[in-house]
Amino acid sequence: MASSGNKNINAKLVLLGDVATGKSSLVLRFVKGQFVEFQESTIGAAFFSQTVAVNDATVKFEIWDTAGQERYHSLAPMYYRGAAAAIIVYDITNQASFDRAKKWVQELQAQGNPNMVMALAGNKSDLLDARKVAAEEAQTYAQENGLFFMETSAKTATNVNDVFYEIAKRLPRLQQAPNPSGMVLVDRPADRATGASCCS
Amino acid sequence: MTSDSNSSSSDSSSGRDDRNPDSGSEPDPNPESIDQSLDAIENQLASISMASRSPTATLDDDEEEEEDQSAEQLTIGNGSVEEEIGVAGAIDSIEDEHIVDNNNIRAELPGVIAESPSFEWKNISEGDEVERPLSPNSSGYAGERGSTSGGDDVNDDEEDTEIRVVENDGVSGSHEQWVSGKRYPDEDDASVSWRKRKKHFFILSHSGKPIYSRYGDEYKLAGFSATLQAIISFVENGGDRVKLVKAGKHQVIFLVKGPIYLVCISCTEEPYESLKGQLELLYGQMILILTKSVNRCFEKNPKFDMTSLLGGTEAVFSSLIHSFNWNPATFLHAYSCFPMAYATRQAAGAILQDVAGSGVLFSLLMCKHKVISLVGAQKASLHPDDLLILSNFIMSSESFRTSESFSPICLPRYNAMAFLYAYVHYFDIDTYLILLSTSPDAFFHLKDSRIRIETVLVNSNVLGEVQRSLVDGGLHIEDLLMDPGSRAGANSSHLGQPRPAADSSGRITDGFVGIGGPAGLWHFIYKSNYLDQYVSSEFSSPINSLRQQKRLYRAYQRLYASMHDNGTGPHKTQFRRDENYVLLCWVTQDFELYAAFDPLADKALAIKICNRVCQWVKDVENEIFLLGASPFSW
Repeated sequence: MASSGNKNINAKLVLLGDVATGKSSLVLRFVKGQFVEFQESTIGAAFFSQTVAVNDATVKFEIWDTAGQERYHSLAPMYYRGAAAAIIVYDITNQASFDRAKKWVQELQAQGNPNMVMALAGNKSDLLDARKVAAEEAQTYAQENGLFFMETSAKTATNVNDVFYEIAKRLPRLQQAPNPSGMVLVDRPADRATGASCCS
Repeated sequence: MTSDSNSSSSDSSSGRDDRNPDSGSEPDPNPESIDQSLDAIENQLASISMASRSPTATLDDDEEEEEDQSAEQLTIGNGSVEEEIGVAGAIDSIEDEHIVDNNNIRAELPGVIAESPSFEWKNISEGDEVERPLSPNSSGYAGERGSTSGGDDVNDDEEDTEIRVVENDGVSGSHEQWVSGKRYPDEDDASVSWRKRKKHFFILSHSGKPIYSRYGDEYKLAGFSATLQAIISFVENGGDRVKLVKAGKHQVIFLVKGPIYLVCISCTEEPYESLKGQLELLYGQMILILTKSVNRCFEKNPKFDMTSLLGGTEAVFSSLIHSFNWNPATFLHAYSCFPMAYATRQAAGAILQDVAGSGVLFSLLMCKHKVISLVGAQKASLHPDDLLILSNFIMSSESFRTSESFSPICLPRYNAMAFLYAYVHYFDIDTYLILLSTSPDAFFHLKDSRIRIETVLVNSNVLGEVQRSLVDGGLHIEDLLMDPGSRAGANSSHLGQPRPAADSSGRITDGFVGIGGPAGLWHFIYKSNYLDQYVSSEFSSPINSLRQQKRLYRAYQRLYASMHDNGTGPHKTQFRRDENYVLLCWVTQDFELYAAFDPLADKALAIKICNRVCQWVKDVENEIFLLGASPFSW
C-alpha cells in the first residue's frame, strides 16, 4: 500500500509472471540500467529499491522481483500482500506465459489489495519475428480487467521506465491513514505462512 | 547393464565381480590404481587425442576430463601404460619415474604455455561451450594437466597459469574454474557418450518418473528411470531392500527415501559408504529446496511429475555433485572455518550474537564455503551437512549475487517439514551473510539487521581482513618447517600475517620437497570431533595439479571409510604406503588426522611429523577454528 508524506510515497511493487519472461531483466534495466543476455533464474525473490520523480511527488519503489518457478507459486502471497502495485509479465513469444499471466491477474483480483495498480507487460518486444501473442489481444484483455498494458523490451530498454513511471502516476495520492511504520508487511494473520511448504 | 548385473541385497559383497559387460570396448580405466607416471603418458597423449577430438567433446568438466578422457587415452596408449605399471610395482623405481616425468613435462612446456589463455572460454556460459568448436590447441584441460608432476620448471609454469586464471575470472581456487549447470543435456541412455560417463546420479519417483539426472535429458531418460524403479520394486516385493548392485567395474547404489528413489551408478571405485553418503546429501539438497512435505504430492497423485518443481536448480545439484570430488566436508560431516585472527573473528561473532537475540534463528557469515562466524539462537543447532547444502545452494545460484534476496529454504536436519526464510546478502564477491528466520514476514527486520552487521564489519575491518587472508591463503605445510622452539615464543606461526611477496613465490619452488626433508609431509586434514570442524592444509606443490588433488581426495575418502567401517571395527591408526604416497591416519576421541607423505617417507618420522601437526593445530586453533559458540549437534 502506498503511504505518502510530504509528497514522498513509498510503494511496494511486485513482479509476477512465468519462468523466463524477463522479470529480473526488467527490474535490472529499471534499477541499474543493465541487461545481460543470460539472466540466471531468481531464487525466492530479490529485493530492489528505486526512486522516481513524477509531477507532484517522489515515489520510492520497493520492488519484489519474484521467482517464476512453479515451486514458489504458493509463496507468492508473501510478496504481493500489501503491494501497492504489480507488474504481471509475459513473454510475447510464448503463449503459455500469457495464459499464466492471466492466472496471476485472477489471483491478484481475488486475493490482492483491491486498490492495487496493475500493469500487464508483454516483454521481449524486440523479438517481433517470434511473436506468438498479439498486442491487440493483450490490450483487450488488459482493458477488460482494469490493467494498463505496455509491450516492453528489457534488452533494448523500450518502455521499461515508462511502465514504472505510469505506475507512479497512477498510485493513489491521498492515504486516509498513512501507516506510521511505513511498512505493511506485518499486518497479516501470522497463521497462514508458518509451516508453509512448497505444496501445501 | 542391468541384464548382466549381479544383484545383491546387501552391501557386504566385497568380492569383486569380474564379469565386465564392457570389457570388449574398454581397458580398465581406473586412474587411481595406476602410477603417477600415467600423468606423463597422458601429457604425451594429450596432443594426439586432442587432434582427433570431435568438436562436441567438451573437456571443461574436470571430472569428465579425468574420468572419461583417461579411459580414452588409455586405449591409445595401452601398451606403454602397462609397461609403466609393471615398473611402478617397485617403490625403488619411483625416483627414476620422477625424472622421466620431468623430462616429459619439459618437452610439453611450450604447448602448456600456448594453451593457458584457453582458460578464458571456460567462463563462458554452457550453451556457448557446447556449440563452440574446439580447435586442437584450445582444450584448457591440457593446460591444467600439463603440469601434473612435480618439477621446478613445471611448478613455475603452473603458477603462471594460476595467475592468468585469477585475472580472467577473479577466483583462485582450482575447483572454481568449473562451470556449473546441466552438462550434455542432449544425451540419453542410447548415447555412447552418456554410457561412458563415470558417475551418474539419478533421482526418480516411486512410480519410475525421472526427477533429476546428472547427465542427459530427464524426459528422454524415462525408460531408463523405469528400469531402475523396476529393480527397486522387484527386490522390495520380495520383502527385501536393494542397496548395491555390482556389475563388473560398475557399482549401482540405491537409496530409498519414501516416494523418492536415488541412484548412483559409478565406476570410480569409491567405497559404498561414501557413495551412499553422497546420495544422502543429494536428497538433503532436494529437501532444502522443497521440504519433505513434497511427499504429500505423491500421496495425492502417485504419478506426480516432480521435475517442474525443481526447475532452475540444475546448477545447485551439479555443483553439489562436483563438490563430492573436492570438498572433504562431504564425507567428514564437519565444516571448515575461514582462517583469521582471533580478535577479528570475535568482532564478527559479537555482532552476529547481537542480532541473534532479536529473532534471528541462525546468522552465518561465510567466505565461499568456509565459515567466518556463525551464531544460533538458544537451543537451535545446525548440522554440518545442512551447512554444506545451504552454502552450496547459495553459492551455486547466481541470482543471490545480484541483489539482496529473501528465499524459503529448508534445513533437513533442523526441520525437514517446514521452510525457514533466508535473507542472503553478498558483501563482496566472496563474502556473504545468511540470516535465517522462521517468519515469512521477517524480511525488513533481517535487512535492518544486515545493515547493523555491515556497519560493524566495515568499522572493524573484518571484510578487509577476509580479503587479505584470501590472498595469503590458508594453512601452508611450509609454515610447519619453522623450528618448534621459535614458534612458541614469537607469533610467527600465526595465520593472517602478511607474508613478504618473495616468501610466497619462493615457497612454490622450495616447498616441493615437502616438510621434514625429501620424504616429508605433503598434505593433511585435521578434524576436531568436539567442534565438528576440520582444517585442511593447502596442497603443497608435489600435488598441485587438479588430477593429483582429486586422487588424494579419493584416497582420503577411502581411508575415512576404512577407519569408520563398522564391520572391521573402529581403528585407531593406519599407515598405508603405495606408489603415490604414504597415508597416515590417526583417530582419537578428540580428533581425526589424515596426512599424506612422500611415498618414500619413513614411518617413524611420519609419526613424529603428525605429532608436530597436532601440536601446531593446537597452537593456532583459535585462528583456524570457531571456538566457544558451538551451535552444532547431531
